[in-house]
Amino acid sequence: MSPSLATSRAAPQPAIRRVLIANRGEIAVRIQRTLRQMGVETVAIFHRVDADAPHVTGADHAIALAGDTAVAAHLDGPQIIAAARATGADAIHPGYGFLSENAGFARQVAEAGLTFIGPDAQTIALMGDKISARQFAEAHGVPVAPSVMPTGDLDAFAAEAGRIGFPLLIKASAGGGGKGMSIVREAGGLREAARLAASEAQRYFGDGRVYAETYVERPRHIEVQVFGDGLGGAIHLFERECSVQRRFQKIIEEAPAARLPAALRAEICEAAVRLAAAARYRNAGTVEFILGADGRFFFLEMNTRLQVEHPVTEMITGLDLVRMQLEIAGGAPLPAQADIVARGHAIECRICAEAPDRGFLPATGAVRHLHAPHGPGIRFENALREGQKVTADFDPMLAKLVVDGGDRAAAIERTIAALRDLALLGVETNVDYLARVLAHPAFRAGDLHTAFVSEHAESLSPQPLADDALDRTLIAAVLGQRIFRALVADVPEPQASMGGWRN
Amino acid sequence: MKMKLGDDLHEVKIIARRPHLVVSIDGRHHTIDDPGRECDGPGTLVLDGAAVSFARVSSGGSVLLHLDGRAIAVEVIDPLDEAEGSGHGRDEILAPMPGAVVQVHKAAGAAVTRGEAVLTIESMKLQTTLVAPRAGTLLAVLKGAGDTFEKDEVVARLAPVEGDQ
Amino acid sequence: MRAIRSMIDTGSADFRRHAAHNRELVARFRERQEAARHNRPQRDLDRLERQGKMRPRERIEKLLDPGTPFLELSSLAANMAYDGDAPSASSITGIGVVSGREVVIRADDPTVKGGAWYPLTTKKIVRALDIAMENRLPVVHLCDSAGGFLQLQSQVFPDKYMAGRIFRNQSLLSRQGVKQLALVFGHCTAGGAYIPGLSDYSVIVRGTGAVFLGGPPLVKAATGEEVTVEELGGADMHTSVSGTCDYPAASEDQAIHMGREIVAQWDRAPKWACQRETPEPPLYDPQEIYGIVPDDIKKQFDMREIIARIVDGSRFHEYQPAYGTTLICGYANIWGFKVGILANNGVLFNDSSLKGAHFIELCNQNNTPLVFLQNITGYMIGREYERRGITKDGAKMIMAQSCSRVPKFTVMCNGSFGAGNYGMCGRAFDSRFLFTWPNHQIGVMGGDQAANTLAEVKANQLRRDGADVDAAVLERVWEDTRAAYQEQLSAYYSTSEIWDDGIIDPLDTRNALGIAISASLNAPLGDPGYGVFRF
Repeated sequence: MSPSLATSRAAPQPAIRRVLIANRGEIAVRIQRTLRQMGVETVAIFHRVDADAPHVTGADHAIALAGDTAVAAHLDGPQIIAAARATGADAIHPGYGFLSENAGFARQVAEAGLTFIGPDAQTIALMGDKISARQFAEAHGVPVAPSVMPTGDLDAFAAEAGRIGFPLLIKASAGGGGKGMSIVREAGGLREAARLAASEAQRYFGDGRVYAETYVERPRHIEVQVFGDGLGGAIHLFERECSVQRRFQKIIEEAPAARLPAALRAEICEAAVRLAAAARYRNAGTVEFILGADGRFFFLEMNTRLQVEHPVTEMITGLDLVRMQLEIAGGAPLPAQADIVARGHAIECRICAEAPDRGFLPATGAVRHLHAPHGPGIRFENALREGQKVTADFDPMLAKLVVDGGDRAAAIERTIAALRDLALLGVETNVDYLARVLAHPAFRAGDLHTAFVSEHAESLSPQPLADDALDRTLIAAVLGQRIFRALVADVPEPQASMGGWRN
Repeated sequence: MKMKLGDDLHEVKIIARRPHLVVSIDGRHHTIDDPGRECDGPGTLVLDGAAVSFARVSSGGSVLLHLDGRAIAVEVIDPLDEAEGSGHGRDEILAPMPGAVVQVHKAAGAAVTRGEAVLTIESMKLQTTLVAPRAGTLLAVLKGAGDTFEKDEVVARLAPVEGDQ
Repeated sequence: MRAIRSMIDTGSADFRRHAAHNRELVARFRERQEAARHNRPQRDLDRLERQGKMRPRERIEKLLDPGTPFLELSSLAANMAYDGDAPSASSITGIGVVSGREVVIRADDPTVKGGAWYPLTTKKIVRALDIAMENRLPVVHLCDSAGGFLQLQSQVFPDKYMAGRIFRNQSLLSRQGVKQLALVFGHCTAGGAYIPGLSDYSVIVRGTGAVFLGGPPLVKAATGEEVTVEELGGADMHTSVSGTCDYPAASEDQAIHMGREIVAQWDRAPKWACQRETPEPPLYDPQEIYGIVPDDIKKQFDMREIIARIVDGSRFHEYQPAYGTTLICGYANIWGFKVGILANNGVLFNDSSLKGAHFIELCNQNNTPLVFLQNITGYMIGREYERRGITKDGAKMIMAQSCSRVPKFTVMCNGSFGAGNYGMCGRAFDSRFLFTWPNHQIGVMGGDQAANTLAEVKANQLRRDGADVDAAVLERVWEDTRAAYQEQLSAYYSTSEIWDDGIIDPLDTRNALGIAISASLNAPLGDPGYGVFRF
């Protein structure tokens, strides 16, 4: 990774010398890597189940957290802040997930006299509520989909929603991850859908408010990486396309977006910068849009943290986003927009422990064998080690394969090759499935939308093995069986040489 | 040896051992010039004159392979399990020694998997869990908590599998 | 060792005629073998199918390690007995590899009279167990027999080498430390019950397997007790109550898999270290044997040509090539095993007898197994030879051969007549294995000589009774006598009576010997009694 453009202008105030990374897994390892390059010391936190995890063994300091489960430990803000203090950390990097978008935590970190590497608590709170975020966007000239705000009265909500037309998307106000979300195509099903969404939202988020907005058919998911200086200055690092999703979660992301007209790209990026600037946004953030086939785009939400898919942006811009985060947190000014240049094309595949052939149900097991793909233009972001158990306790994402190429076609080819090279045995994964998606003619053509996976379900299902491949497979399998080896090897001579002779 | 890939059953038969191992799969013959190592991990074998590289992990009754750029799970059929069929004649759970029932885990009509606890008994100050000898449905649980029984007394019975005599 | 230089002209008219003749003999042998193996009344096969049983040969195929040889013994036993009612003597025996171990497999054949034991069945079983004892080979019994064939019980039951010998042999095998496994697929009734009873391990199939001294009808007749087969001797009773059998199996398949796993637990006794080389196929095509063996038993042929088509690389180290030339002696390798071969190239004279005796002693001194290739019309007779002590010299050869400590193997390649059979290790001399070619004939003398002798005796008798003995009467007497004698000379009669371990296609000689030699090395060698006498 080339050094950030901001390096030369970085002001060393306040100096960050030791960072507690309030995360685990691949992102903790990835953040450590940059910090190490920057000469910043790292503090890892871990639950006892992770005691020998790479993010722990790779850190300069590591501190154990108490908690019934690892997830509970990583959500225990006061304990994490105490750990930061105990280890003398100046700053906390939240990564993604866990407490990364928790305004209360960001506030507590600041109150403890530590630097939270991210936006301030108010911005997180503003953007964390979908309704307030949407209103803020609309107020600052960022297009939003026609919608109905939540009320306590389901009948009134249904009536009003009916007026803006169908199809409609019902969403939980406090939600995410597809929970409390449903599509309504006609007036008749609206009330029941709203009721169900509300109860699901109540169950998952403790907040039963739902809202409805125009549902864009075959929408693309386009997001813009932004950085703000917290003073009203903001820049973008171009867009990413994250349209290929399953169960409302991204599995393949790329930068730049496929087949996006330059003018529309500029328009979308400018809208994102406008929003970040208006919010006096500080540090890295992502503004998500849905883009319709007609070229209309609507604000979806803003993620106030580093995204899982940030590496594709790093690959096309040559920038290290974690380094930029640290520099900005340390008071450095933003690089100039004009200095941000994109080259080539990058693709990220999320390697998940799941069963693509059975509705992407999460899979469990253990990492029994791992061969990471390598070569020019290939990043394999992971914190895997052989023997590691894969349980349902954490997100099913095991690793990220990030690949760049001179253009989209070259990036696709290189990614497919890397996926075929990647061997991860012991738990079922979506690796083969991802390779099939990338090789799909519609993907190659850039004909993407968020229903890509379901629309092409049949042509993306695995093909039965040809006889020769089947035989290779069975032979390789059987040769690993002690009982078969014995059957071959235990026969004495000369009988072994005689073979199946009969007299 | 029989193996399952997906829903399909295949048989790998040894045809010859010398000068090279020859196997037949569903009637197709292949020469294994070099079988590679038996152990798990990355490996190479030479099949019909061509090197085949793969990674292999054996996991209980199945083998996980990475070969030809894809991951494949192959189930190895244990000949003893296979030959056991429906578990003919294993409908009764007998008391291994005289004693009393401590706890009833499953009632008549309950579905049980092989090895699932049905009753816990106590005899000679020793508690023993009696388990289902095969998967099926409990036809009857003949003893309740506190009931006593003799050695080899039938304490529970599984519904016979269709086709069993 | 140099390869033998064959003198055979494979393009000659003789060669072609011999080949056609011998191929015809082999084809007829294969037909009879096929019929003995597979021709069964449909109702017997249907009954087996109804019972969910496999045929005995299917059981054997599943028991054997896949892709390994099975040397079947005496496949045409009883082919000329009981009007052909007991093909293969209703029993299958042979040597195969199970879980990597050489074993004797002995299977009842329930497709013949419910697997009942005929007199020759017991002889075949006793022989199989003798082979197990002599070669220290573990035994797997595949039991499915109704018991002794009652109509012939006097020839099955009472004598020393009849049914009781089976159980005697089982007991002695166990004392030798040789393991036995019984897989009980069907009934083991009466004496048959002792087969699993005397085996070290036994598996019994639920529903079809049963072991009892007397079956339900016999019990009812004897005591009035009514009892089912399962209660009396079924799998669950024997494996959970009586402890007579060890493992219950849900199916024949499972019983066989369990059996394979049990055999896999057995230790492998070390073989004694016979000299071994890397095997190589014969230089000359074994198919040419067909063109070498003449179409008339009276015609002589060079046994070196046969040796060249059996041994590794056709290599042969001939001992005393210029002395006693009617007996070829020398070293070769078969499937890598070093052997000493004695092969007849004519009548045994004094010098050839002494040479044979001497070579047998050398092989004993050298720990080299002996292979006898018989084509012998006898020891030379006549005044001159008696004066030279042909009987005394023949006796030396018989003595040396009988008292050999190294394993011996005999192949009946053509004729075996008179005392030559003794010197060349005939059946009475405990060859570990004795195989017969289809063209083979055996008797105290040849058919013509026997007919001459017997016709002469008959004619004298008639003359004494005052009858008019003309040429036509003499001719008829001669023809009748010869025909009756000839039938008993044939290989089929020989093998029917189990005077051998089976007729084999001459092309199978190399493999049969390979398996036999390999098996023989399991039994330890005794100490030599004397050094080598140079006679």
